[in-house]
Amino acid sequence: MAIRDDFEVVAGQVRTVVQRFALGLLVIAAFGAMLVGKADTVLVEHARVLALDLASPVLEAIARPVAYANRAIADLKEFASLREENARLREENARLLAWQTAARRLENENEGLRGLANFREGPEASFITARIVGDSVSAYVRGALLNVGRKAGVASGQAVVTGEGLAGRIAEVGDNSARVLFVTDVNSRLPVLIERTRERAILAGDNSPRLKLTLHQAIAGVQRGDRIVTSGHGGSFPVGIPVGEVVETSEGTVRVRPFTDFSRLEFVRVVDYGVTGLVGGGSGSPHPAQPPAGVRVR
Amino acid sequence: MRADGALAMLDRWGRAALPGSVLLFFVLLTLAPLRAPYLSDALPLLPVLVVFQFSLATPERLPGPLLLAMGVLLDLLLGGPGAPVGVSALGFVLIRAAVVANRRYLVGVPFLFQWVGFCILCWGFVVLVWAFTALWTWTPIDPVPAMMQYAVVIVVYPLLAPLLARVRARDPLNVPDASRGTARPGETTS
Repeated sequence: MAIRDDFEVVAGQVRTVVQRFALGLLVIAAFGAMLVGKADTVLVEHARVLALDLASPVLEAIARPVAYANRAIADLKEFASLREENARLREENARLLAWQTAARRLENENEGLRGLANFREGPEASFITARIVGDSVSAYVRGALLNVGRKAGVASGQAVVTGEGLAGRIAEVGDNSARVLFVTDVNSRLPVLIERTRERAILAGDNSPRLKLTLHQAIAGVQRGDRIVTSGHGGSFPVGIPVGEVVETSEGTVRVRPFTDFSRLEFVRVVDYGVTGLVGGGSGSPHPAQPPAGVRVR
Repeated sequence: MRADGALAMLDRWGRAALPGSVLLFFVLLTLAPLRAPYLSDALPLLPVLVVFQFSLATPERLPGPLLLAMGVLLDLLLGGPGAPVGVSALGFVLIRAAVVANRRYLVGVPFLFQWVGFCILCWGFVVLVWAFTALWTWTPIDPVPAMMQYAVVIVVYPLLAPLLARVRARDPLNVPDASRGTARPGETTS
């Protein structure tokens, strides 16, 4: 009997030790994962892409109820200000019609002048329309998950735009999914132009809703309200996509508000700027399969 | 004594798989593009809530290795380039260990105590992730968004926790040893 009690005591102690040891092992495993991630970034990239590809069907499945919930929330919000919204839209419509007339006239003039100057255009861009199936917006990342991937012609580094302007660039691509890194992310650096002065600058995100503009030259030329557009330096981005406007210039820092409203993104377009055409060498059909809902521009 | 019918087996498996499945669901939900004001901020911390609540109710059905896997999955899905993979796993494992070690103060006590416990542990988790991410990427990350997430998830806790707590075995005599509070009848924890 005494032996049995002793055995139980020892067994209990062993169990306690193992349990304590188990926690240590788990902690070591977590640290190991972090170290592996730091040492072998390619492996982690593969794991990320695999996880995204696996998760994206599930996300597509819950996309409909999520969209329904979003619409209900938006309806509730807009219902309160319907009258003001209508008045504002009518006013804006009138203003835009005037702009449309001006744009038509300028387009004709531009065409004529290009013909006179024998101007050679850059590569053609095509669009791949994608639905946002996942947000990877946390305290540390600003991004989103798209339901198109390598099979639709998406490649890393391509620009992602909305109707309002540039949203970000493709960071990771899986077979049927891709991750967008928004311009507001802390890892985002974008070569831009100030539209009025044609001055070159770098636009950097810092996870806040405002972007930071770093100029190559003096800061003096920048004014509030200046529009910022992509400069096309670096190759994979088209020139002149609107990014945002300057909202604050003080003490050597210039802050830019992006045109894209990241809080209500649902569909985006991935700009395929003919880089694949350059690689493939064929100018006739640079894309093996025409992407669904793809539109030729320019 | 165990019933051996097919239904009973299914029931056992269902019970065993439930906490893990709920956790997986919430890990995937962190990616859902929900546009609800405030609530969408808190989505990345909801798995922490689930881990805390199930570690209270049924720690034996949420083993450490599973938490490790879920944490790594969460980091893979949520993380941007350069973010540490495995820091959430570390946080999950530590929360489970802290809850299991302090069952005396957390199981069978008024709800308010559990809430305070969650506030403390979730704070630890947020600080851990923030510190590791800042160190790993060697950038001064603005802590305000993380604090906002924390504040929202603290407010969400009373809404979600009672729902999750229902997975606990109904019969108090049928509770496995690991999930039972250590207090004896009549004992007070002061």
